[in-house]
Amino acid sequence: MKIKIAIIALILCFCNLSLLAQEQKMTETEIVSFKKTVKEVATKIKSLSTDFVQYKHLDFLSKDIETSGKMAFKEPNMLQWQYKKPYNYSIVFKNGKILINDEGKKSAMDVSSSKIFAKINKLIVGSVSGNMFDDKEFVISYFKNKTNNITKFIPKDAALKKYIKQIELTFDKDDATVIQVKLLESSEDYTRIVLKNKIINAKVDNSIFN
Amino acid sequence: MQKSTILFLISFLFLVTSCATNNLEKELKPVTLENTVYNVPYFANPEIDYAYKANISVYGNDMSGIFIAKKINPTTHRVVFTTEFGNKLLDFEISETDFKVNSIVDELNRKILINTLKTDFKLLLKNKFLIKEQLEDTENKVYKSEDGSEFNYLFVSKTEDKLFKIVHSTKRKDQININFTSENNTFAENIIIQHYNIKLRIELNYLETN
Repeated sequence: MKIKIAIIALILCFCNLSLLAQEQKMTETEIVSFKKTVKEVATKIKSLSTDFVQYKHLDFLSKDIETSGKMAFKEPNMLQWQYKKPYNYSIVFKNGKILINDEGKKSAMDVSSSKIFAKINKLIVGSVSGNMFDDKEFVISYFKNKTNNITKFIPKDAALKKYIKQIELTFDKDDATVIQVKLLESSEDYTRIVLKNKIINAKVDNSIFN
Repeated sequence: MQKSTILFLISFLFLVTSCATNNLEKELKPVTLENTVYNVPYFANPEIDYAYKANISVYGNDMSGIFIAKKINPTTHRVVFTTEFGNKLLDFEISETDFKVNSIVDELNRKILINTLKTDFKLLLKNKFLIKEQLEDTENKVYKSEDGSEFNYLFVSKTEDKLFKIVHSTKRKDQININFTSENNTFAENIIIQHYNIKLRIELNYLETN
């Protein structure tokens, strides 16, 4: 009997643990409070620099393709992704332009020529500036677990939806900033970008956006 | 010169050029065939995720991304091309006899482009060539394989016994060159696909992510 109780207790314990790790829907009050906090924090962010690791997950591969580098943002809308490993490649979003530096080879294009880039850019910049909760563009749902708040964006735009099924932003509960961006192409294939070593309002030189 | 002589000369020249062998063969000497089959090692291991940084130059326009190939069953390779961000641009399944487009973005969805890539990837991923003739020069063995009404020439260095080039050609003209740089002879670190009839060059550099 004692063994039975112990087993049941153990199972309950595991269930409890898995429940803790699981996502739960936020209540309406929590959503209002969460959005308010993110906006408050975001208004104080004038610049941001962070390291990132990107994991490209494709269902048929045995492991994710890992790339990494630095991301920098500066108000009002300058954003740079700089891949350092395993190759040097940077992409800058600035004044409606996309500037690419591929191992020293530079090129430029208008954001308007790449709707997807424009939308992703808007979303990432938006998540920092607090203007991302746009119900016109996305169907948004709000979740939480023990340590994070998670927002899921399903594009309403049919063209964008063809490429990105869903975008998930994970926020640190403590400082209400984004720690992970997940772009789902299908249920099996996605890109997960983990942001770490974040520095808020550090000096970010304008020259990196050139 | 009489009209009939001119006519004869023209027809003779036409006959000579149409029967002429590829320039490539003029530099080579036929030898006895050693094997009737040549197995290419470069994309043959089903346990390896083959991931490369890809740089494509087409009629003066440059684009880059990640090229991923994997042998998903004994006859078929899955090929995916993504942007550096991870957005999937195309997703093909290729075998000797079948070709399937799993997905392709609207911007690239052009029949001529799909057919060109199909030819290139088929040649690049082909694991087994049936050899009809063997030729050589002082440094290399050259295996000649039929490809419909066209030919593939496989260049293998005599000293290292390493496949370093495949030339796809018609009876008269080289059409595609694939150059491999491989350290260990089982895996190609650098691959260059060069077209001669269109201005297209694809360079692949292996992504060492770990």
